[in-house]
Amino acid sequence: MSMPAVETIDWRLVQKLDPDGRLNLASCLQCGRCSSGCMMRQETDILPHQLNRMALLGMKDQLLKSKAIWMCVSCQTCVARCPMKVDTPVLIDKLHAMAQAAPGDLRKVHVFNNVMLASMRRFGRVWEFGMMGVYKLRSLDFFTDLGKLPTMLRKGKFSILPPVTKGCSAVADIFDRVRRARRAQR
Amino acid sequence: MKYSFFPGCSLESTAKDYLMSTQAVAKALGIQLEELPDWTCCGSTPAHATDALLAAALPARNLAIAEGRGQDMVVCCAACYGRLAGANLALAEDSHLREQVAAAIGREYSGGVKVRHFLQVLREDIGLAEIRDRVTRPLGGTKVACYYGCLLTRPKELSIVDDPEDPQLMEELLSAIGAEPVEWPFKTECCGASFSITRADTVKRLSGEILRMAKESGADCVAAACPLCQTNLDLRQADIERSTGERIGLPVFYFTQLLGRALGLSDEALGIGKLITDPGRVLTR
Repeated sequence: MSMPAVETIDWRLVQKLDPDGRLNLASCLQCGRCSSGCMMRQETDILPHQLNRMALLGMKDQLLKSKAIWMCVSCQTCVARCPMKVDTPVLIDKLHAMAQAAPGDLRKVHVFNNVMLASMRRFGRVWEFGMMGVYKLRSLDFFTDLGKLPTMLRKGKFSILPPVTKGCSAVADIFDRVRRARRAQR
Repeated sequence: MKYSFFPGCSLESTAKDYLMSTQAVAKALGIQLEELPDWTCCGSTPAHATDALLAAALPARNLAIAEGRGQDMVVCCAACYGRLAGANLALAEDSHLREQVAAAIGREYSGGVKVRHFLQVLREDIGLAEIRDRVTRPLGGTKVACYYGCLLTRPKELSIVDDPEDPQLMEELLSAIGAEPVEWPFKTECCGASFSITRADTVKRLSGEILRMAKESGADCVAAACPLCQTNLDLRQADIERSTGERIGLPVFYFTQLLGRALGLSDEALGIGKLITDPGRVLTR
């Protein structure tokens, strides 16, 4: 990794990511236990212990452009094995929320998250079958797993019709109120 | 014993067999699972990856409904369990979040509902001795690799087991019904979870390692307790075999299906026909 230009450093990054110090970022010993257990260590570009230190140093641009924040599979191994209880998964969630876009092929992860949230908002529950259709259209990934569709349908593993729940308007209200609360903070 | 039951979205669709077998087993053991009225999605990965308030508010709506009913909440899906129990913990620790969530869901929630996985109910409220007594068709020494995955064991604060690196909860249960759990090292590794859709190669790598290790350890089948784990290990198994040219052929049951068989329940009631990898060889033993 190249050295960041000093003007790209955000000195207030930790303050924004962890105002109450709940993530214990400053306690990180750089022992690497998190990274040695990381399921994505072969595929990712920045390892968990590096993410922690880069956040402390305010390397916002590098973090938000990284593959790592989109590659986390949320398995919780890093935090479970950390001797100092540094909460790397929540750090990644917060960076994720700050990032506007995912690099390259990881765009599909971003699209999938948004499509699943839209399904929750619309139906109150996730309609897996409908969500897969919308995901295919939005990601332009039409052919992956198409061959599995007949098996899934034959085994009755997909509901063709969307779920019906009285709670769907309550869920849409929650999405709206959260969005308003976020806007008010800015 | 009555509980508020939170099925979760997957159990209505890809994991219908988990729902069927859970309900059949509960009925056979006198556990009354009353579906939480009007339940909605826990928010799953996309909510916590997007907004901390949304990730707490979506489970809190369900917890608030359960609180009014005064029962423990029982969950089968490992991801729902993690989100619901995790929201409880976050709300208990953070009064500011509690206020924000109350405003978002339009009601107060005190944080008082106990969220429990179905495995815990079986172990703690029914007990191994009672289950052993109810067995009519013991599993005859079937070698099972008990697979927990991530969210039932991690993080420690939410873990349903004593030792997050080497849990024994499922092993004890399946031993009680006549199975022979194998010792194996990958029982809490990650299957790749929701990358199933967006990064199939990652899932093939991770789930392939788990399946190969289960097989090397002498297992005839795998027992899972999470819809996503089961789907990745079962539905992706043929792809994994194709990419390595190595046959695996391990049926991947929900632990409730194995328990139901031992209790003498029919394969139809347990949704055995919905499994993708042929379970015949294991079931005819």
